[in-house]
Amino acid sequence: MDWLATVVNGALLGGLYGLFGLGLALVFGVMRVVNLAHGEFIVLGAFLGVFLVGLLPQLPPWVLVLPVALAGYALGWGLQAGVVNRAVRSGNPLTPLMLTFGLSVMLRNAMVQFFGADSRAIDGGVLTTAGIDLLGLRIGLYPLLVLALAALLFGALHWLLRHSEFGRVVRAVADAPEMARLMGVTPARVFNRVMGLAIAFAMLAGFLLAQRTLFTPFSGVERMLIAFEVVIIGGLGSFWGALAGGMVLGIAQLVGQKLDSNAGPLYAHLVFVLVLLFMPKGLAGERR
Amino acid sequence: MKRLSWVAVAALAGTALFAPRFADGGLLRLAAEILLAVGMAQMWNLLAGYTGLMSLGHQLFVALGAYALFETTQRLGIAPWWGLPVAGLAGAAAAALLAPVLFRLRDAYFAIGLWVFAEIGYLLVSKSSGLGGSGGRALDVSALEDVESFQAIGFWIAAAIGIGMPLAVGALMRSRLGLALLTVRDNELAARSIGVDVWRVRFVAFVISGFGCALAGAAYYMGGMFVSPDSAFDINWVVMMMFATLIGGIGTIAGPVFGVLVWYALRELLTTVFGLQGGWYLIGMGAVAVAASLYAPRGVWGLVARSRGPKDVGAARPAKSDALEG
Repeated sequence: MDWLATVVNGALLGGLYGLFGLGLALVFGVMRVVNLAHGEFIVLGAFLGVFLVGLLPQLPPWVLVLPVALAGYALGWGLQAGVVNRAVRSGNPLTPLMLTFGLSVMLRNAMVQFFGADSRAIDGGVLTTAGIDLLGLRIGLYPLLVLALAALLFGALHWLLRHSEFGRVVRAVADAPEMARLMGVTPARVFNRVMGLAIAFAMLAGFLLAQRTLFTPFSGVERMLIAFEVVIIGGLGSFWGALAGGMVLGIAQLVGQKLDSNAGPLYAHLVFVLVLLFMPKGLAGERR
Repeated sequence: MKRLSWVAVAALAGTALFAPRFADGGLLRLAAEILLAVGMAQMWNLLAGYTGLMSLGHQLFVALGAYALFETTQRLGIAPWWGLPVAGLAGAAAAALLAPVLFRLRDAYFAIGLWVFAEIGYLLVSKSSGLGGSGGRALDVSALEDVESFQAIGFWIAAAIGIGMPLAVGALMRSRLGLALLTVRDNELAARSIGVDVWRVRFVAFVISGFGCALAGAAYYMGGMFVSPDSAFDINWVVMMMFATLIGGIGTIAGPVFGVLVWYALRELLTTVFGLQGGWYLIGMGAVAVAASLYAPRGVWGLVARSRGPKDVGAARPAKSDALEG
């Protein structure tokens, strides 16, 4: 029973990991850029959460999800409009990589300078300690809500991309930017919004994770590797695959932690290697 | 190569030969560090600049080489430099084993895939007490007769690597394989159409790159006589290699050499002249990388090489044509 609870909790943690991967996959899918600063934004979301919780102690922490996500959208939009569009235009795939890598080094060390290198966590209040008993399993209420929120966000984004005007434009730009341009679409503006969404997801997920796990300014690297593994395990370009990939990693990490405390991330990485060896197209396979 | 370049190389080698006589320990150590950085950046560039495989996991090879040398030295009770070939071979073997898996991933996914393997190596070494665990381990110097001359020998090895690797890459570019590498760099599709086995070319470049980085990493930690997982698996190794290559000029031989000099000059400038502390210095370096990617994506050497025309085999990669891909 103990093991089953671990697996269930891992799957719930996976909801957050899925959100990490979602932003990375979205940006890559639309503009063929891998944002190497993705992990730093995840950690930045956590630090923004610490700041806001300190500023507004009377509010329950979960309310702050909204301002963190909005700040993420604004930051992502500004980042894309300010510098990344320029790098995308260069046409050389190495340019955005170097740009975002330089940004990640800057952000990581700026966070060390401003917030210190100590481990922190956000106290999520009563919600994080409450739990429900389900068929004899003790499941935290908080991870359950997080998974529900993750599923909701996945669904919302899926709907947005499939059925809205904005989604049609995004897909058009992803498939044929030149053709979209002829139809009166400015790809750079679409990119701004897509990056805004991706960073909003990253910072929101980072904020939520910080209520469960300790973080430091250096956690960004590990978070980014997880986001990347989620995308590969799920299958490049697959939407719901990312959620499944997140769950696989979440389960691997918690089971690993149980087998061998402080080695959780190692097991998550090893699962990734196994997938790469035996299912190189990921859980969802390649759609094209 | 032009006669002038050979004179420069000979002068450099001559200086290196006598440097331990007149330079003090600190200066010698800095010079060795720069020379080894040149070797590593050159190896990173061989992969990224010529085969389009950008790596963010080359710290894996640096650490692997270091640990292979430390382990060999201790197990066999020999002088540390005899462990260097083992270190290089360990790097080559790791690259050969990882290539079939990693080559399934393209572009940034290859880069981060290798990074994951470096992270796995870091976690495994940190956990294994036999290799010193997370605290690190000291070099076994019991087989050495005197430690004084060890420093000089360490410097000469660094000089051989720092001067030899750019020359070796230059010679490689003149070989059949080098021509294949250059065609892959310039136009992968055209390379395939004239019968270049792109996978094999990439594989060979990856193995050489792993070999060279492991060798340079082993020499670096041999000089320091201490290695820890936090230092050897540090992503900042890759930051340096990438920065040097991109600032200097990717896909050129002189570029990484020039870039390493810029890197160390900037480091000295930011830390001593402007007095920036560790974190601020890295922020400054990140800012330089961002600015360089926006304003000089082909590097400083790339600009020079372009004005000299395409005769230089290391000439910068031309703007990628989308005509064949669309």
